[in-house]
Amino acid sequence: MNTKPAPDLVVQNLSVHYGEQVALKDVTLQIEGGQILALIGPSGCGKSTFLRVLNRLVDRSAEAHCTGEVFLGDTRVLDPKTDVVALRRAVGMVFQQPSAFPFSVFDNVAYGPRLQGVRSASRLRSLVESSLKQAALWDEVRGKLRRPAASLSGGQQQRLCIARALAVSPEVLLLDEPTAALDPLSTAKIEELILALRGDYTFVLVTHNLQQAARVSDVTAFFRQGRLIEIAPTRDMFTAPKCEETEEFLTGRYE
Amino acid sequence: MRGIGWHRAALAGSLLVGIMFLGIIADLVWQSLGVLSWHFLWSPPSEMGRGGIGPEVRNTLVMVGAASLISLPLGLAGAVFRVEYSGAPLFVKVFDRVRFTFLSLPTIVVGLLVYQWVIVGLGWPLSIRSGIVALVVMNWPFVVNVGIEALEGVPDTCREGSLALGATRSQTLRRIVFPTALPALVAGLGAATARLLGESAALIFTAGMNVAVHWSWGMPGETLAVHLWYLRTESLAPYANAEAAGTGVVLLAVVALVLYLTQKIAHWLKPRDYSRKSA
Repeated sequence: MNTKPAPDLVVQNLSVHYGEQVALKDVTLQIEGGQILALIGPSGCGKSTFLRVLNRLVDRSAEAHCTGEVFLGDTRVLDPKTDVVALRRAVGMVFQQPSAFPFSVFDNVAYGPRLQGVRSASRLRSLVESSLKQAALWDEVRGKLRRPAASLSGGQQQRLCIARALAVSPEVLLLDEPTAALDPLSTAKIEELILALRGDYTFVLVTHNLQQAARVSDVTAFFRQGRLIEIAPTRDMFTAPKCEETEEFLTGRYE
Repeated sequence: MRGIGWHRAALAGSLLVGIMFLGIIADLVWQSLGVLSWHFLWSPPSEMGRGGIGPEVRNTLVMVGAASLISLPLGLAGAVFRVEYSGAPLFVKVFDRVRFTFLSLPTIVVGLLVYQWVIVGLGWPLSIRSGIVALVVMNWPFVVNVGIEALEGVPDTCREGSLALGATRSQTLRRIVFPTALPALVAGLGAATARLLGESAALIFTAGMNVAVHWSWGMPGETLAVHLWYLRTESLAPYANAEAAGTGVVLLAVVALVLYLTQKIAHWLKPRDYSRKSA
């Protein structure tokens, strides 16, 4: 499916300001390609901002200002000369609220390829089918591809969004609390899916669900008030955190 | 249980208003029965005998149609700029202040401004095209408003979802934002157009109060609403009362038709959820 190897993610001294407000301060971390990085921490700690830097969606707010270096493979993400459109094709994103477009299931998945100029109906069909299969949604929607995406359940819509992201053959997938709006069964399906895709893509997963981070990720990073407090292999982090703050957060004694 | 009394009072009030409204319409229709006919709809008005409102119907459709068509792209451009492209919060604040001022400006003052610019300034005659200019200036802020509300009704997750797939801002606008906003846009434009149909004061001194024998953009042309005003104030025609009622009925019918059609189209444009139907 995806022939390009998943790129390493290297972040050096990343700081993000919104006007006067500091959202991220001096974050440095590194993960290998194909790994799953989970970001945990209290609300407003900068997790989502971190995610939105990686595909430069942070550019949408005029007041945001980023300093530092972010590398995805060889791409310098924050370089003003970087082609944002190409970057975003390489870096797929799935949001907290399923953001299916008000089109049919087929047109949702075909949206990205069509943007890239794919016109051939057979090519689109095979792309849609393979993406839906990858996202473990094919069996539920085959024969219903012309139905509006809104007719799917919340969990199905979220997998549709993952399929939509996969259809442009990204190398990195950013997941911003992908299961926060879903029931446990749908959550389990999404987690299974992430584990099935592990290795093919570099994942960055923001989650408020600590068990999810523990179940799914290879590396966990704990953020608080815009700072990276601790980053460690997930097993180490959850069994023996080094920082007291992390331990307080993980055990629910935080604040 | 205390809520029940208020509930009944509200219900009774609504019923009363509904009955009164129907009563007004029934009264209008009753009064106009003597004149309503194809002849009334097609022929020119007459001060002597049985006239009609043919030219007024045509002028209304032409002027409101042209004004809507012209103000549509102008208004949409403003709305798109305000919602999709303006970054600075200060700009948005100033833009909205100006927008609300224009929205609440009495139309007769707008007519006065247009009179000053177009008729005194440019030396245009009291004419259909001057009237169209007045209607465009009046309608523009409303279309901007309708556009802004429709565009803001598009969830931001749709925009971000599209951008995150590598779409440019203009691709997102054309392929996601516009199709999603279209139903609300059509319904809102219908309401704006219906409002233009009833405009009279500003048109009296920009488009005039009579109808030319030969239709032309540069000739005066009164609309249905202006004709109604004329019949009720200055006309000496023998059937002025019935004709005024008839004009009112026709105007109401046109308004109702515009609203009905735009609502229908808006509904038809909405993405349908088949799952509920098949259940």
